[in-house]
Amino acid sequence: MYVAAKGGEEAIQQAEQLYRHLNGPLTLELVRAIEQQLPYLIDRVMGEGSLYAPELAALALAQTGGDLYEAVLLLRAYRSTQPRLAYAQPVTPATMLTVRRISAAFKDIPGGQILGPTLDYSHRLLRLDVLDGTAPAETAPVALAADPAPATYPAVADWQRGQQLMPPLPPQPPLEPADLPDITADNVLFPAPRAHRLQALARADTGGILSLGYASMRGYGLIHPTVNELRLGHAEVQVTHPITGAAFSAGRVRVSQAEVVTSGGSKEAPGLTIGFAATLGWNEVKVIAASTLDMEMNQPEPHPAHTEEFVLYHTEPVEASGFCIHFKLPHYVTFASSLDNLRKVIATFYSADQPAQPAAAQPMKQATP
Amino acid sequence: MTETPLPHGAALTLLTHAPAEAVKDLAEALLPHLGEVRVLSNRTGLVMLPYTDSAAGTLFHLGEVLVSEAQVEIAGGVPGYALCTGRDLVQALAIALLEAALRAGIATDTITAFLHAQAQQQAAADATLLQKVEATRIDMETF
Repeated sequence: MYVAAKGGEEAIQQAEQLYRHLNGPLTLELVRAIEQQLPYLIDRVMGEGSLYAPELAALALAQTGGDLYEAVLLLRAYRSTQPRLAYAQPVTPATMLTVRRISAAFKDIPGGQILGPTLDYSHRLLRLDVLDGTAPAETAPVALAADPAPATYPAVADWQRGQQLMPPLPPQPPLEPADLPDITADNVLFPAPRAHRLQALARADTGGILSLGYASMRGYGLIHPTVNELRLGHAEVQVTHPITGAAFSAGRVRVSQAEVVTSGGSKEAPGLTIGFAATLGWNEVKVIAASTLDMEMNQPEPHPAHTEEFVLYHTEPVEASGFCIHFKLPHYVTFASSLDNLRKVIATFYSADQPAQPAAAQPMKQATP
Repeated sequence: MTETPLPHGAALTLLTHAPAEAVKDLAEALLPHLGEVRVLSNRTGLVMLPYTDSAAGTLFHLGEVLVSEAQVEIAGGVPGYALCTGRDLVQALAIALLEAALRAGIATDTITAFLHAQAQQQAAADATLLQKVEATRIDMETF
């Protein structure tokens, strides 16, 4: 139940000013520094905010002192003020400018394994020399290869289909992007269309997705995931000129995607079973965990925490964080009502003239031998 | 030397990928040649980005991209249009003006030369990035 509140305006205003004061000044320089130097944080906020806008994500982080859920909420709120001007042409992984693409399943995938930008095999040691002022002025440059890497790579799953390790893709009806199911406009009903599921995973909370995915990986799930392909790249936002009909790219956005597989399909579809997820920005842990959950949700009887409804309802960052933090707001009427009930119980069963054994009032069933 | 005009879509792509300040400077320099300019719209908005699921072939919405859009008319009622990622309305306006100028045949050589220079710079930037990426190619065994 929601009730109106009144009073406390001055304290609320001062509380906000104290918050801003303790966070330090909000300046354009701070926003630019966050945008340029914390790209993975920006990506995480944009992915969960479901809005690719690095400058605004940096502003949201600066404005909230780095509180991720507040920053995501700001981005979602801004998004709701903007008109949707167009639908881009669908991005296909095989046409994306790819800077990282690895497989833990097959060593010799077509196109080879490209580590790209990663700390996967690096020591995780704090650079105390930076604090001591003894760090080198510049980081070591990347040694350029003689020839550039390919800009694009085929999907590993397509190669596996060619090897009969996976069933062929089902035929897809031609669909205009504007006609795709869209959880920003539709009610999500279960079982959800796959387009709803993948869109919800794309904008899901990284921590929530990791938690549920990790539970599956640790053994609560039915499958053991192997990363078939992990890919980071730049996708073109391909739109159509409204007057001439010419196709052009409005710019590039960073995206990540993962496929995970497990052996043992079904009688109807023998071979590898595959899960998939993608998101705006580069966020590897999210897409690996989400693709594991995608595969888990396809199982006939998943763990209750891995059903589609459970996963999608509990990993929506704005709804989950909003519901959680609303409990700190005044619930005086609700709580007073609970206290009234509690006092009645105490007066009825625990007052001086009543025995303090309410359970004795209801005889317990006798166990039969 | 006059350079070959680029296809319409390729020209717009080069303009949206070019550094915003370079595009603005060019539009500013050509403004006196465009006659009376009418700005029909100049706004921010969203473009929904669909993605292809490589597991089942499903198309789905990955998320929205913030864009700036501009529609203009220059002398003779020639229209110009632009849509570019980000929140820079002046960048969108500049691209729309350059697009209109190309259609009207105004300063074609100047704009085409700019586009060819951009094509070279953008291709070189991609090639350098991919040379760095190639340096991370790995051949790893497990035992």
